[in-house]
Amino acid sequence: MAQSKKGKLNYRCPSCFIRDIDIDMFYDEKKKEYYCLRCCFHGSEEEVLRLNDMLKFRYKWMEKRVLDFGDDDKAPKVEDYKGEEEK
Amino acid sequence: MGKPFILNLVHRLELSPEYSQKTNGAGGKEDAFTGALTSESVEIFKTQQRLAHENGLKTTIQLTYASLFSDECIELAKADHEKYGDEISLSLLGLPCPEFKSKYKTKDFCIWMFSEDDKRAIIDDVFGLFKKKLGFYPHSTGSYYLDAYCLNYIHEKYPSVKAAVATCFEEGPKAYHTCNNSWYTFLDGGPWNPWIPSKENTHCPASDAKDDCGIVCIPHLSRDVMACFDGNGSNFGTHPQNVLRGMIYDHKRRIPYLYNLIDQYRHLGKWNRYAYNMMFVGPGWMNRSGRWEVPYEGLYKSYEDAMRYYGKLKKEGLLIDMTMEEFADFYRIGLDYQEPERCLWKDILYGSTKQYFWYLDPHFRTCLDMNQGGAMIDLRPYAAKLPWKVGIGTRSVYDASYPYLIQANYRAGYFTHYAGEGTVKSYKVKHGSEAYDGCLQRTMARCDVLENGDTLLTLDPVTFAFSDLSCDVVSRFLFKKGEGKIEITREITRIEGKGEVEIEEYFTGAFGINEYQSDMSKIVLTSDGESGHQEIHYAYKCRALHEEKASQIAALIPDVDTLLSMGSDEMVAGNVEEGYAFSPCYRLALSKKFTSKGELRTWLSLRKAS
Repeated sequence: MAQSKKGKLNYRCPSCFIRDIDIDMFYDEKKKEYYCLRCCFHGSEEEVLRLNDMLKFRYKWMEKRVLDFGDDDKAPKVEDYKGEEEK
Repeated sequence: MGKPFILNLVHRLELSPEYSQKTNGAGGKEDAFTGALTSESVEIFKTQQRLAHENGLKTTIQLTYASLFSDECIELAKADHEKYGDEISLSLLGLPCPEFKSKYKTKDFCIWMFSEDDKRAIIDDVFGLFKKKLGFYPHSTGSYYLDAYCLNYIHEKYPSVKAAVATCFEEGPKAYHTCNNSWYTFLDGGPWNPWIPSKENTHCPASDAKDDCGIVCIPHLSRDVMACFDGNGSNFGTHPQNVLRGMIYDHKRRIPYLYNLIDQYRHLGKWNRYAYNMMFVGPGWMNRSGRWEVPYEGLYKSYEDAMRYYGKLKKEGLLIDMTMEEFADFYRIGLDYQEPERCLWKDILYGSTKQYFWYLDPHFRTCLDMNQGGAMIDLRPYAAKLPWKVGIGTRSVYDASYPYLIQANYRAGYFTHYAGEGTVKSYKVKHGSEAYDGCLQRTMARCDVLENGDTLLTLDPVTFAFSDLSCDVVSRFLFKKGEGKIEITREITRIEGKGEVEIEEYFTGAFGINEYQSDMSKIVLTSDGESGHQEIHYAYKCRALHEEKASQIAALIPDVDTLLSMGSDEMVAGNVEEGYAFSPCYRLALSKKFTSKGELRTWLSLRKAS
């Protein structure tokens, strides 16, 4: 079997990403899957993309825009991002 | 937001970015200096310049050693200087190129890691080539980090240099771990905003004109001072690649977090004489192959969006773009060396109400966590101004971090597993057999800058509820300008129930530059008071001192040349505890008992020991 290669993009291991380790995965052509050198994770591109979406769970304000930082001892005022700054 | 918000936008012209050399990965050519990579790098640089100029922003162009061998690069820089007023500067990053490799016979590329002889030789070489090609010496320079030896040498030999990029906030063990333990930029413990370094140690702000290294320094990027302390620093800064690396974008690859981050830096003007942002990009992250799961089009969009937002702020009169040289001149106007940098920071990503207060002056850098009742979770004793030599031939070849006395993430903080203690400064409230720690009191704070320059942080009241008594406590931290001292007040503003309440103000400390503790046997713990002077010479024996009426308790830590002391204007009970092998810390505590409203007022002081 030939050696593994990088995929078309540098997909990182979702399992390692969640523990703050950036490690690119390699692609196993025979099994049609990405796999991690550091842990046991392996999965298809579709699965990697799904997990990449999932691991954003902690960013609860990822799609919020701060309107006002307000009083020092109050949380910032935010609204759903409408895309004003972007085309 | 009435204070000026200043932007330094820095583009460095790397022809063979060090992180591109490996990015091509398996199957790629081993030779990093291919014509294709260098011509792609120049094209990316031109794109970044164009996006800045289209949005009305001027840049600082940092030429690299490699780019100085390219007539095309020099002409590009000159043309943009003429047309847009961009500064032509010189970076000490971007050393790798065939000429460098054949001359210095090494793959090292971080200037602070070379031997002192090589530092001088390389700086002279790079600056000499710049002069030869441009006809003048640069007015600014930089690297990811510049140690005091490099800064002092540059200032002495090339006095035209006014500004430098000289650290990256909280880049240290966290970055190392994130990069699969392969990225050796250990620079923890420095400022998050511009400063003038001491001649002794780059991290420490200069105390006065005599201590001034002669160069205004700026951090590499403006980083989220909460997310970067809690997690991977490389995901949360004013570099679009950081935000992409952290996957902080939606399905349309929109990046409101970046705008919120920029806006929070604008907000910091509320407590400081100006507000500041720095963006520092090379070409490597924007290559045609894509980066961090994002194809080129997404990379391009992120930079276009970032430039558009800065440009919008400028058009609205809310941003002033400056070159690094211009910023250095601005920074020195009305300079007060003892003026602190204050940063009351709110979470803008996780949607919590978590809040940090960062404070920095020539005596110390510290961070208080309001999500833990105002506990001190980081403390760096700048007063010691440690002459920490770094580079080949020194005892610290690559680690330039400034030591901590407290780092609650590296060294546990409040929460430990079953045994031992972690480094943190907090307080306990006790009643009978019950005791609660302030670390479990989530609150928020207000920051006021007083007329005399002192800084007052006032925390919202918290309630301690015991089985047959409850009380409210307000905490106040008064940072005394120019004294290296914090006065801490715990005031009981309400008490209901019978019996006595005791407040204990404690400091659990250690020292170090990473997660691990080196030998503590040089530490001397002392207590002074009614019983006279008592000492413990640290030997991991779990011993303790008690003084019923203490005037001062202290820890002398020779390894970091620091004397840490605590005291109170009224004689209160003092306890000093030695640690043990499983819990290598020391603990100092002052306590007072109450049956009605009242306050415990203590102070914490940091001094150079020698």
